[in-house]
Amino acid sequence: MTTELQRSPTRRPLQMSQLGLHLMIAFLLLLSLVPTVIMINLSFKNGLQYRWERWTLSLPLRGSNYLSAWDVIDAYMINTVLVAVVGLAGVLILSLIGGYVFARMRFPLREPLYYAIIALLMVPWVLSFIPAYMLYNNLGLLNTRWALIIPNVAGGPIFGIFLMRAFITGIPEELYESARCDGAGAWSLIWRITFPLSLPGLATLSVLNFVAEWNSFLWPLVTISDMSKQVISVGLFRLSRTTNDLVDFGSGGPLFAGYVLASIPLVILFIVLGKFYVEGLVESGIKM
Amino acid sequence: MSSAQSTQPDSAAGGRRLWRRRTEATPLSWRAFRRSWQAYALLSPIFVLLIIFVYYPPILGLIRAFFRWRPGVPATFVGFDNFVTYFTYAETPHELVNIVKLLVFGLFAGIVMPFIMAELIFFVRSAALKELYRLLVIIPMLVPGIVTVLLWQKLYDPYLGPINDLLRAMGLEHLALNWLGEHRIAIYAIMFVGFPWVWGVGTLIYLGGLGQISDSVYEAAALDGCTGVGRVLRIDIPLVLGQVRLLAILAIINAITAFQNILVLTDGGPGFSTMVPGLTMFHSAFRAQKFGYSSAIGLLLFIIAMSGTLIINRGIRPANEELRQ
Repeated sequence: MTTELQRSPTRRPLQMSQLGLHLMIAFLLLLSLVPTVIMINLSFKNGLQYRWERWTLSLPLRGSNYLSAWDVIDAYMINTVLVAVVGLAGVLILSLIGGYVFARMRFPLREPLYYAIIALLMVPWVLSFIPAYMLYNNLGLLNTRWALIIPNVAGGPIFGIFLMRAFITGIPEELYESARCDGAGAWSLIWRITFPLSLPGLATLSVLNFVAEWNSFLWPLVTISDMSKQVISVGLFRLSRTTNDLVDFGSGGPLFAGYVLASIPLVILFIVLGKFYVEGLVESGIKM
Repeated sequence: MSSAQSTQPDSAAGGRRLWRRRTEATPLSWRAFRRSWQAYALLSPIFVLLIIFVYYPPILGLIRAFFRWRPGVPATFVGFDNFVTYFTYAETPHELVNIVKLLVFGLFAGIVMPFIMAELIFFVRSAALKELYRLLVIIPMLVPGIVTVLLWQKLYDPYLGPINDLLRAMGLEHLALNWLGEHRIAIYAIMFVGFPWVWGVGTLIYLGGLGQISDSVYEAAALDGCTGVGRVLRIDIPLVLGQVRLLAILAIINAITAFQNILVLTDGGPGFSTMVPGLTMFHSAFRAQKFGYSSAIGLLLFIIAMSGTLIINRGIRPANEELRQ
């Protein structure tokens, strides 16, 4: 939007307004970050500091809070990573295959089948939450990791196919034609050509799916009663209920250290794939 | 794998392919189905999972909303009893008032705040800083949702929370309330979670829409002296109505169906002051084992959310496509 027209004649006032703009953005961003900053600050406090110097930076920083926190939440963290990664692998494979089939193959009932999948995006989870619980109950899947993996593998490809179909449609047809001339079948067209060329789409899907899994709370809360199989969200929720900061001075710091630790996988994910996430959302804004 | 050729019967003849593509004419004959076995084979695992785990539950819920349904007991048909029970329940009007409040607020926080942030970033001249801000708005999302809510619970803590510490330090002792523990305040305290509600996803969706507006539109507007706030009102808003519609639908569905924050922060209390239908659905299933009743509330929420979605879909019409790139 930096057209010459806007820039040249009134340089000075514009620079002032640009400064105001930056200040307003910084102000809003800082306000959004207040809870995060408080969390990090509190995570380094010992019992006395937590009691008397909660809102200031107090030295010495007590890094060992992180070790105490890890001892309590390590199982939850590992469970969540395990469930999220296994589920994600399934989602990526099914979305890639589905996206390819709907983007590149021609067969009777293609469009009706595609819309039969996409229509499911419109069904709010609230309608299926209770009956799904009963279904997993009847199948004997409650309190197993399958209760956490299957919903993702079954439901994740709905949006995944939507995303990957759009992506795969953009791959030039010539690549497929020359491969077909070499006698490549559908399977190798998917894995040798589509897969490497749709990595950015798969990256976007991975971030969206992993974040959703990492945040999932209500479903594991009701389906998993054995805490040794529980995920991080529910683990932290239970922990926050059983820790009483007023009585137990030592508990505040480690609890917040646990909150920080629970954020680290998402931080790593965004450092590696954040670009695809931002691009994916900006793209979806364009598609409206 | 020679049959790959058969699902793409027209890959050789270019002219025919063009014709095919335009008309999408795929004959519905038995031979055509047989020739396309490969496509169906590839889709079959997807559909098997969808049918069992995605289609079946909501259909089951739709039916069982009219049953008395408990684990281990055969379900019995009760007609509209579950709905009658819900609508004659003393706390129901109160719950509905609460979702209306949450809805009004949710539309503001979900549509307006991300738009303001997106516009601020969009007006930034430097491309590098623009890029940086785009990344910074998603930082709050790096904290898991449950952690954000648990943190706000700590911020509201009447004895140890920074909000009350700050008020006391300013000598406003009388304003230091038990935010989540007062009947009349708790619901607003729940809304306030996440202040200033600059939601990264919404902001980025708007930025995508704003980036699509063609430069020539802006040049014409600038020539007519339409800049700054005037431009935002007269050009940007009409041209991002598609994004507004998407975010409005998300906000409506969220306000009507979400109860996770309430469950964590107050569990409907104090008393029934922060109860919403979703939470009643949750409690009646997992505390009272009334799964039929619970399914009925789920169905009601679905109907309300769907009607809201349809109204928004009809009501907001995105502006002319020609003005976009």
